[in-house]
Amino acid sequence: MAEQFLDQVRDAVDGQIVRDYPPTPLSIRRTTSSLTNYYLQDFEGQKLAEVLATVVLSIVGGISFLVGFFLQDIALALKIGLAGTALTFLLVVPPWPFFNRHPVKWLPVGGEPAITSTQQNIVIDEKLFTK
Amino acid sequence: MYNSLTRIQNVFGFFTTVAFVVAALIAASDFTAPRTPSATIKPTNVQVVKGRPHYYSTKKEEYAIIKFSLNADFSSLFTWNTKQLFVYVTAEWPAAPGAGNSANQTNKAVIWDSIITSPSADHLSNLGPASLKKLRKSAAGKTIDPSRGKLSLKNQKPKYQITHPSGKIASTDDVTLRVHYNVQPWVGVLTWNQDSDLGLWKKMADGVSAAFALPALKKKEGEKAR
Repeated sequence: MAEQFLDQVRDAVDGQIVRDYPPTPLSIRRTTSSLTNYYLQDFEGQKLAEVLATVVLSIVGGISFLVGFFLQDIALALKIGLAGTALTFLLVVPPWPFFNRHPVKWLPVGGEPAITSTQQNIVIDEKLFTK
Repeated sequence: MYNSLTRIQNVFGFFTTVAFVVAALIAASDFTAPRTPSATIKPTNVQVVKGRPHYYSTKKEEYAIIKFSLNADFSSLFTWNTKQLFVYVTAEWPAAPGAGNSANQTNKAVIWDSIITSPSADHLSNLGPASLKKLRKSAAGKTIDPSRGKLSLKNQKPKYQITHPSGKIASTDDVTLRVHYNVQPWVGVLTWNQDSDLGLWKKMADGVSAAFALPALKKKEGEKAR
């Protein structure tokens, strides 16, 4: 029970941009062996996170300078900069669902009949192994 | 961007870059604000008295007490990046000829100074609660308050009585009073009054008094001449 709980905490803190496969509800996910579950990376989502962080932070920096300069208020510039950074953290750090819209499509487990049915001959130490 | 930790590191890392660039822009924006400081100063009352550097000292020194009047307009020095302005008045006089290796040197001593905070730095000023409240009220709703840069002092008592390492200062000739300022920004380098124009930053108009002589030692009533 404690292990399950710690696993859930670790996953929540880790917050990977992934989808578990096959899709299993959180309640039973941990009861099954980890070998039967694996995660699908979403590289598009990871790229999106990177681009968002760069663009949003740059825009916030620009706004903070311009507002501060034209209103002649350096405290306001500081507040805008810090608030915008907090917003960026909130936008980028949690594994939001919209980072997870392009999971990698792997070939099915066990393969298609066309591949598995083909005889594969493996030669090791001059002995022929047939699979 | 694989898990939370790498995302935190990435966002924070780029945040430091953005913060540095914005700070550099703020510091550079100082050059877009013209500086046209001006000041007129004149001594109003000059005395030289004898005193001791501290209570138990057996050494007696001469101290010059120079009262002055100052009219200054430093309002152009207050921009969004100004934290505070340090204004100080020095008395300057050439070293006595034939005084060994001190020849051709200028003696310089601060007689008065003042810190003028910008409204954004009022919380840093060294004031009691009542005066701080008054200061805050004077700039309520303002992010910068150039009117604080306008000084008008009449017959101002000096903060510091000055002497010379030799302990002799009476009857010194060619003493001038000079007004200086030091702009302390929130971001960027400290800048002092310039000797020449630099872009939009003009050198201070006037700011030097006519030369005057310090009087002879003031004798107390009934004191015998030594």
